Amino acid sequence: MNTNPSMERKSWKASRRLFYVVPLAAMFIPLVANDYLQFMVNIMMVYVLVTVGFNLVIGNLGQLAFANTAFFGIGAYTTAILMSHLGFTYDIALVSAAVVGGLAGLLASITALRGIRLYYLAIITMAFGELMRWVYIHADKITHGTDGLPLYNISVFGMSMHSDTAKFYVFLLITVLVVKGVSNLLRSRVGRAIIAIRDNEMTTASLGISTSNYIILTFVMSGSIVGIAGAMFAATTERVFPESFGLTEVIVHFAMVMVGGSGSLIGSVIGGAVLTILPEYFRQFPGMSELFFGGIIITILLFLPKGLASLLAKLSPVFHDRYYRD
Amino acid sequence: MLEPTLKVEGIRVAYGKKEILQGVDFELAEGETLCLLGANGSGKSTAMNAISGFVGCKAGTIKLEGQEIQNLPAHKSFALGMVQVSQSRDLFPQLSVEDNLKLGAHVRSRDTAKSELERVYGYFPRLRERRTQRVMTLSGGEQQMVAIGRAVMARPRVLLLDEPSGGLSPQFVNEIGTIISALKEDGATMLMIEQNLGLAFKVADRFIILRDGVVVDGGTVADYADDHEQIVRAIYL
Repeated sequence: MNTNPSMERKSWKASRRLFYVVPLAAMFIPLVANDYLQFMVNIMMVYVLVTVGFNLVIGNLGQLAFANTAFFGIGAYTTAILMSHLGFTYDIALVSAAVVGGLAGLLASITALRGIRLYYLAIITMAFGELMRWVYIHADKITHGTDGLPLYNISVFGMSMHSDTAKFYVFLLITVLVVKGVSNLLRSRVGRAIIAIRDNEMTTASLGISTSNYIILTFVMSGSIVGIAGAMFAATTERVFPESFGLTEVIVHFAMVMVGGSGSLIGSVIGGAVLTILPEYFRQFPGMSELFFGGIIITILLFLPKGLASLLAKLSPVFHDRYYRD
Repeated sequence: MLEPTLKVEGIRVAYGKKEILQGVDFELAEGETLCLLGANGSGKSTAMNAISGFVGCKAGTIKLEGQEIQNLPAHKSFALGMVQVSQSRDLFPQLSVEDNLKLGAHVRSRDTAKSELERVYGYFPRLRERRTQRVMTLSGGEQQMVAIGRAVMARPRVLLLDEPSGGLSPQFVNEIGTIISALKEDGATMLMIEQNLGLAFKVADRFIILRDGVVVDGGTVADYADDHEQIVRAIYL
């Protein structure tokens, strides 16, 4: 890590430029991408947000809470239910998914506030996800059970969003706003307090900082972001199934955080993107795709235990997250 | 007569059935530096932890400017201005020097925190040079500076220093001594535990000696300036 303030300022400016250049360049993707690639880029943005939200709790707050698939499913089903049964437009359903996801985060934070930590917290929060999946299957009058709940007439502000290109621009805007928001938050005094809780909760509390408030806030933000990702997922697939939010999904989300880099925002973006694309790439090797996928994850974590973000940080200080775990 | 800033009366603290403090009394006046001396296991750190709220008292009272604070949780004592720098320093290793310092003034306004930061950098110019460096990469002496700096950021009513020279090289002990003296000159009220009598006598006004959880001796540093041996005898024999 650089210690020279002027160098730090330079790398901060460079990373800021990079933050705007990448989305601007991405705007041209629809010009060169076919339908399949466009669909994959959209799904990639969904998982980038899933990983950003999950990493807030796991990597930044340091709580081993696996309620992510619950938040993801809640966001997706909130969107689908509001649109299919109540005739809401997608924009309102998306905002509602963020709110309901945040409320789910609030509920999940109760476990952490009760002093439940580590593996116990992991099991309880995973059970929350499984409980929600049971609800999606059995509340079939509302969710249509295993048949899945379809979404019709997806539009934002009166404009149709049925094409993958239209979805792409909406998703790109949401992704940029969320990632920028989280970046700003992590650089603020709130972010500092969240990281302090991760490093030493007792000491943080002894400095007069209300750790409970920050734990609740982080869970709510995580739930909200992953809820938004759920709404984006629902719009991408246009039908929501309970199987999309099972235990395997928790493992995939966790792998995205770890491969990208625990506690790294850049890592979340990379982890979410890479682990969405890789399985698709390996589909061309039928019967071997899982082997390749697993092998790649093992190799990355073996040689880069701090994730792909650590490799980028070594290459350039531009990519060094301020709160990344060294 | 002026109310002392800190008044400790008959505090008793036990870990399980073992009573560590068996009725400790002392006072600390505004702007004064008092040093707690004593052999290992005499109850110095326990007394300090009881004052800062990290351990509870079975009996007795602790008053900060007349307000009873015994058995208040640590964060409430902190909010009232009782700020401790523990022996283990309790820093946030992954955070930068500046982030660690700012956490000391987290509950204060942004502008106040900014001016406090400048004040702390005034005491510790070395920390300004290292402000973006992660604390885990600093030397022990620099980490101690961060720990003291973070406490100073909170503008404590009473600054509690638990062995500030612990594990430091003679050069850093001198530097820490100079900084504590500067804080004292600026009017800080301090209670410190220190095994290094050279440092203790350089910065303290008074001392008390604890043995088996009770105060057995005490006096002003000026009276014993030329006779450290007598104090060593009182501590250990």
